Amino acid sequence: MPSTPQLSPQEEQERLLEEALSVVKNHAFQMKRCLDKGKLMDGLKHASTMLGELRTSMLSPRNYYELYMGISDELRHLELYLVDEFQKGRKVADLYELVQYAGNIVPRLYLLITVGVVYIKSNELSKKDILKDLVEMCRGVQHPLRGLFLRNYLLQCTKNVLPDTEEEAGSEGDEAGTVTDSIDFILLNFSEMNKLWVRMQHQGHSRNKEKREQERRELRILVGTNLVRLSQLECVDVAKFQKLVLPSILEQAVSCKDPIAQEYLMECIIQVFPDEFHLQSLSSFLRACAELHASVNVNNIIIALIDRLAQYAQNEEGAGIPTDIQLFDIFSQQITQVIQNRPDMAPEDIVSLQSALINLALKCYADKVDYVDRVLETTEDIFNRLNLDHLEHGSPVSKELMRLMKVPVDNYSNMLVVLELQHFGPLFEYFDFQSRKLMSCYIVNNALDNETNIPTQEQVDGLLNILTVLIQDQNDQPEEPEDPEDFAEEQGIMGRFIHLLSSEDLNQQYMILNTARKHFGNGGDRRIKFTLPPIVFAAYRLAFKYKEQKEDDENWEKKCQKIFQFCHQTIGALIKAEFSDIPLRLFLQGALAAGEIAFDNHESVAYEFMSQAFSLYEDEISDSKAQLIAITLIIGTLEQMSCFSEENHEPLRTKCALAASKLLKKPDQCRGVASCSHLFWSGKSTGYEGEMQDGKRVSDCLKKGLKIANQCMDNSVQVQLFVEQLNHYIYYYEKGSDNITIPVINQLICKIKETLPNLEANEETEQINKHFQNTVEHLQLRKDGGDAEGPSYEELVL
Amino acid sequence: MNFFGFGQSADIDIILDGQESRKTAEIKTEDGKKERHYLYFDGETVSGKVNVTLKKSGTKLEHQGIKIEFIGQIELYYDRGNHHEFTSLVKELARPGELTQSTCYNFEFLQVEKPYESYTGANVRLRYFLRVTIVKRLTDVVKEQDIVVHTLSHYPEMNSSIKMEVGIEDCLHIEFEYNKSKYHLKDVIVGKIYFLLVRIKIKHMEIQIIKRESTGSGPNTFNENETIAKYEIMDGAPVRGESIPIRLFLSGYELTPTMRDINKKFSVRYYLNLVLVDEEERRYFKQQEITIFRKADKSRKNMQAQYQNRALQHLQPSNPPPEIPKEKEELTNSTED
Repeated sequence: MPSTPQLSPQEEQERLLEEALSVVKNHAFQMKRCLDKGKLMDGLKHASTMLGELRTSMLSPRNYYELYMGISDELRHLELYLVDEFQKGRKVADLYELVQYAGNIVPRLYLLITVGVVYIKSNELSKKDILKDLVEMCRGVQHPLRGLFLRNYLLQCTKNVLPDTEEEAGSEGDEAGTVTDSIDFILLNFSEMNKLWVRMQHQGHSRNKEKREQERRELRILVGTNLVRLSQLECVDVAKFQKLVLPSILEQAVSCKDPIAQEYLMECIIQVFPDEFHLQSLSSFLRACAELHASVNVNNIIIALIDRLAQYAQNEEGAGIPTDIQLFDIFSQQITQVIQNRPDMAPEDIVSLQSALINLALKCYADKVDYVDRVLETTEDIFNRLNLDHLEHGSPVSKELMRLMKVPVDNYSNMLVVLELQHFGPLFEYFDFQSRKLMSCYIVNNALDNETNIPTQEQVDGLLNILTVLIQDQNDQPEEPEDPEDFAEEQGIMGRFIHLLSSEDLNQQYMILNTARKHFGNGGDRRIKFTLPPIVFAAYRLAFKYKEQKEDDENWEKKCQKIFQFCHQTIGALIKAEFSDIPLRLFLQGALAAGEIAFDNHESVAYEFMSQAFSLYEDEISDSKAQLIAITLIIGTLEQMSCFSEENHEPLRTKCALAASKLLKKPDQCRGVASCSHLFWSGKSTGYEGEMQDGKRVSDCLKKGLKIANQCMDNSVQVQLFVEQLNHYIYYYEKGSDNITIPVINQLICKIKETLPNLEANEETEQINKHFQNTVEHLQLRKDGGDAEGPSYEELVL
Repeated sequence: MNFFGFGQSADIDIILDGQESRKTAEIKTEDGKKERHYLYFDGETVSGKVNVTLKKSGTKLEHQGIKIEFIGQIELYYDRGNHHEFTSLVKELARPGELTQSTCYNFEFLQVEKPYESYTGANVRLRYFLRVTIVKRLTDVVKEQDIVVHTLSHYPEMNSSIKMEVGIEDCLHIEFEYNKSKYHLKDVIVGKIYFLLVRIKIKHMEIQIIKRESTGSGPNTFNENETIAKYEIMDGAPVRGESIPIRLFLSGYELTPTMRDINKKFSVRYYLNLVLVDEEERRYFKQQEITIFRKADKSRKNMQAQYQNRALQHLQPSNPPPEIPKEKEELTNSTED
């Protein structure tokens, strides 16, 4: 550091403080020496000189505090000495007057306080008169910083000597004073300190405003200590708090018109005094809130109070909210008042107040849904009045409103209760698209997480109306399409959500599905893909349930038919949207269901569904891979079904075989035909008892398969097909089909063995090889096992 | 006197009656030192005896007579030659003759009027003394002895408070109130300042006690102001509506009773000067005369009780002193002290 004589403001401050402290140290030392020698008057002179340092205007509040702390430590010596002397009976009669001769006011008042407290402690003079005198005399220091510290000294010194006894009738003029005197004392000190504190704001240049506010915040605890002291008086009960303490504090807080002070004091009141007091004086507190400066964040104050009381209400050890206090009504009224008094209040602040109110209602009156609804109604009115709608996503109001609406959702964790809130849904109107969507997702997820069933049609209708943004296109939705993944996820949860729309009552459930269908049906092609299948599935499930309960409902068969009609239509909607594989699967599923439920006319329904599946296969599915998958599904479905008469079954299975053999690619044909073979074996129709077990047709199919496999050009594929065919043969041989013989199997094995080594060694070959090895191993086991029951493997050549 | 060491010479001692039990009082001398003398009040008899002790035994002292005088006089420092005696009483102790031995004479000034209080000021002095003179042909033998006189006043029947609204237009308006207009020497001034309008940045406010000694008369009047007390009563800038308490104990200061036009020669008056100083060191002040009087001491016991009450004294806004018409006046503004 170059040795510039110019000190930075910081260094200058440090230097000033250091100097002041060294003066203090010096005179404190001399003061103590004089006191030790019994030279009281000289001691007081040194004390006074030491206190003279507190007259400075040069120090920052922080450093002034340091100085103050140093000096008040030293003054404690003086106090202890005097108390000691007084106890020994060495009283100085007019000490209280003597210290008042000091010419400068700051040292004089510090000394006066010190001596005054000594008088109180040794019961000289009237306690209450001294207290009154001290707090009055302190008016002489009008400089904010010096006044604040002086009065803080007064408050510290009198900490343990304030009278705290009840006023007794008849003992008026009691010299020792009662709690009323203490209240008056602190209240006066408080209001004077607050005025000084507020005055700091208006001193000095306006460019230092921020610094000044910072300094003020550092000093606020000095003012707040008054309130702490009041709360420590044991004789201050609810009645005194209501009658004496609170009105004065509020009066001061409101009339000082200073935002920093108001915010701090209101918070301080909430934190310092017990909940029981707050409960009894809510109205006056909240009324005061309504009168605060426009830039005071009333929200924080009210919310802090609500949080405290809500916590109190939930505290199991506490007495709870007394029944005679209409907590909610009071808050509701006063908040309305607050909002009315502040025409410039930001809408987000209004909303956050309402959130707090909802919180209160939920925590203190969990069973009163209408309270919450009332808040929502108020909120709606406010938006109406402010002419707000399409709140932009991410704007403070939108955020606040979303927070507000999430409160009941989270709290009830039951959408049915939320649905009881008449004004919940309408509030959605005020959001923009994005927010509506987020909020809707939130609701749906909540329902999913809590597995909330929505059991009536009305509720479903109501809920789906609220969630419309996820169900249908909106007028205000953005032009550019959404991210497909996000969209899929969003619609996916809607699909899951549909399963929650369920009632124990089947007729009700039917209506629910109809309603859902109506809503989701308008979703447009992109959405129905996700939302209609769950409806169809739910409908099938419903049909099963009707069957289960057929005893209770004689019309169950008609109802089932209706359900299948409903499904048919619904699937039709999907077809119209040019989907094919989903409707195909749904038809097949429907056919299965219809077959199983076996209601009146079920066969034709099942046939219709099967044939619809076929026509979809024929008309809509052109991709060969998809065709194979589709035909395999159809075959599988048909194989499972047993409801068809031979008259219906025959064309279906023939159709399958035909379709399979007409597949484009040879391997596909081969596999298709092989699959088809099962229709002739384990397929069931009412014409037979049990499975068809038409060995000849099975064998024909397999032979055809082999033939097609032989035509394959690709060796690898060909061997693969052979192995697969071999498995089919073995399957049927084991099932006991007469048309399948060991020589055929031997021949096939031989053929595979021939071709297999010629294949290029690669992963695929490896797999094929493994498949073949496993098959051979299986046969070997059979052969060695000599299973008596199964067909003979003696002739098998491996 | 007897420069050559011949002839008789005598010492004179004045012994006052009841001297052992008489109170004394302090008074300043002209050069500022303090002396103690016996204290008398108006109308009190001054009596005692005069001892004339011859220095050489066996020699006669011839004299033209011996007398004792009781003198009250005013000395103006600028007019040293002229002392104004307002009281002069003479008693003859001995006719002209000879003294052959030390002799004692009794004297008595019965119920002497002592209208004024002893006083030593900047330009004037009022003193009482006894003078014994042995008249001789060449040089008289003279002995003077000072006494101090205190004038006691009863508690005034009329002692209204001082209440006044003063100000500078659109700048500063205050209302001040002192609980009385007449204070005794050990009294306490209780009052308050109420700020009606504050548009200047006040730094502090103090109360001064100013003593004004006026000597001479007419165009030759000479005033000497002395600030006896400076007592800060407020630190920092108040705002409108503040009320600042005043409590000033007079016993800490050296005061005399107010003296008005003493023997047409001088006056001593006291003023309370309320001074407000702003941040630019401008001073605004208002002077109010107060009367100071001497009250008979009470017993010690009473004093104690009195102390206790007065140490806590306040002007209660709720219990105002009898309303007197408020005067409205300009506050004086000056930049010098």
